[in-house]
Amino acid sequence: MRRFDVPRRECLKIAAMTALGSLLPARVLSGKNPTCAPPITNGVPANGGQCPYPIPWLDKNGNHNQMPKANVELNHIFHFKGKLARCAGFKGMGTDNHGNRLAWGTGTTDFSYMAGEYWAARKAQQGVYAHI
Amino acid sequence: MYWVVPVPDDGLTFSPDSSTATLAMKNVPIVDQPKWPSVDAISTPAFLDYKLVMHQGGEPEMYEDASRWYRFTGFKATAQLEAVVRVPSIGFEFKTDALETSKAGFAVMGEEVNGKYYG
Repeated sequence: MRRFDVPRRECLKIAAMTALGSLLPARVLSGKNPTCAPPITNGVPANGGQCPYPIPWLDKNGNHNQMPKANVELNHIFHFKGKLARCAGFKGMGTDNHGNRLAWGTGTTDFSYMAGEYWAARKAQQGVYAHI
Repeated sequence: MYWVVPVPDDGLTFSPDSSTATLAMKNVPIVDQPKWPSVDAISTPAFLDYKLVMHQGGEPEMYEDASRWYRFTGFKATAQLEAVVRVPSIGFEFKTDALETSKAGFAVMGEEVNGKYYG
């Protein structure tokens, strides 16, 4: 593996370790339908939006995440039933577009999928979501 | 990474016996924010392609907390990942080695009920 001076190495380390460790999706819990936000109703009941609801006790800091491990809530959607998988602690190697070989993955590099039924807008919704 | 994005219809597939799941996502719009959660953390638009393959094992797992209304039932699993991250504004791209070269320290597959479905 090539070595770099401190600023360069720091830059690359930040890029590689965070590239798969701190990338935030632009749309959060937004659902398949981009208009899943609560509609403004006129004369009819307002039942909220179709977006999945986050786990209440994980939302204190706007962060729907906790490290996956045994005996914790692995899901990111509350009022859910269906298939769920979660994994974390990835380790691997990769290459950037300058040919530099870099390690990727940390204990917090975790992924998941949630596929099934969730409750929103006062009715059952179907959806498939990924946590990245 | 922290949050949740919708998966296209063909993004998540299962083997006929449901023991292997493949999640493939392309051009997921994300934000590169290396200094998060610092309040002055600069964010940069980025894109992520990734393929996650999980194989269900034979060791059962069940996690349940009645006070928090959730129950997971499933099995320990293995997980492997390959990905490409692009940050166009700084001309950066990072590609992991092939899927087979990665491994995860923790993985489970199964089903869960929580919230109003818990009971």
